[in-house]
Amino acid sequence: MKGNRLLKDYGLPLAAGVIVGVAALILTAMGNPKNMGFCIACFERDIAGALGLHSAAVVQYIRPEIIGMVLGAMIAAVAFKEFKAKAGSSPAVRFILGAFVMIGALVFLGCPLRMVIRLGGGDLTAVAALAGFIAGILVGIVFLKKGFSLGRAYPGRTAGGFALPGFMVLLLALLLFTPSLLKFSESGPGSLRAPLAIALIAGLVVGFIAQRSRLCMAGGMRDVFLLKDFTLLTGFLAIWVTVTIGNLILDSYKLSALSQPVAHSQYLWSFLGMALVGWGSILLGGCPLRQLILAGEGNGDSGVTIFGMIFGAAIAHNFGLAGSADSVVDGVYKVGGIKTPGMVAVGIGFIVLLVISLTHLPKKGD
Amino acid sequence: MREKQLRLIVAFHTTACAMATERLCKKHGLEGRLISVPRQITSDCGIAWSASPEVRETLDRFLTGAGIETAGVYELFL
Repeated sequence: MKGNRLLKDYGLPLAAGVIVGVAALILTAMGNPKNMGFCIACFERDIAGALGLHSAAVVQYIRPEIIGMVLGAMIAAVAFKEFKAKAGSSPAVRFILGAFVMIGALVFLGCPLRMVIRLGGGDLTAVAALAGFIAGILVGIVFLKKGFSLGRAYPGRTAGGFALPGFMVLLLALLLFTPSLLKFSESGPGSLRAPLAIALIAGLVVGFIAQRSRLCMAGGMRDVFLLKDFTLLTGFLAIWVTVTIGNLILDSYKLSALSQPVAHSQYLWSFLGMALVGWGSILLGGCPLRQLILAGEGNGDSGVTIFGMIFGAAIAHNFGLAGSADSVVDGVYKVGGIKTPGMVAVGIGFIVLLVISLTHLPKKGD
Repeated sequence: MREKQLRLIVAFHTTACAMATERLCKKHGLEGRLISVPRQITSDCGIAWSASPEVRETLDRFLTGAGIETAGVYELFL
């Protein structure tokens, strides 16, 4: 009885976390960059590059994982009669929030999902990011308690709910039938990729289970701090444990703060970048992964957020805001991280989030 | 582990409405607490208000009076 209840409450997020963790391990083994089996921010950044929205030659590819996740969530939502077209909750503000969440993630070099995957690879540089992510979420919760709201969404025409899934189908068609129109990295992280079919299937499976389980990195933390509810956090922890065990078995676990794959050791900026992501995700009502799933369920506001994230990725690389990985040049360890423009962008991001937070509180008399 | 109890679950369109409901109920001494919206109600990951079914009419009156819009009211064993 007790076991059944626990299984019913925690089984789905636990299973989702294990499946996401295993999928991340498989994708890395099949060619994706190390500790980057899945990364929503990095993969959307690669898509922006493939479409020519930025010209960073090392990060350009239409990542089938993203397409699969949106379509997998859509299939689950349709199959379980949960597909609902709705929109209208401050779309322009969400676009801006999406852009700054992306900039924060690219300063750290990963979304919350990749942060967990990096931790699962023994990457201690991600610890500062985890602390920052939690700090950002706590700031967001303060504003939620004060009544922050972007307003409600309203039901729309069903066809409108298929806008982002339709865009993903278009990307897949471009990738399959007219790849010459796209840009593809020949070196760097964008050139490291699992075979298309495997990446697409992994995305479909993860999208499907994430829709069923409501897996959300930010929502899990929010529920713990605000509601003392650990259900969603189970998924977050299950990814961490699964990836850790998998890396230990595959002999790819390296507990260190140095020379980690696609990572830098500017801890302060990892902290601040992910604080921006945590705060922004709470204001948006979900982490970058969750935005993909909600868009797959027909949520137009999440679709706009994703376009904002792709825009954010483009300006992050066009204006040199994104972090660069630590590297070894001629036998000398060179610390990467961000330069002055990235630091300024993070500062502007905090100001923008503060303005949005303050201007969306209830007015006196509400 | 405690036995499941029948609870009144109020779902909202926004987190702000859930927070406002918590403040309202505390002000009027109505029993209840914020919870993650049960999965059987919606695929959204918002916040709901959980209360005793006995306070349904009173709660409904307070919510209407305060202009708090709900997305649905359910009775579930939780």
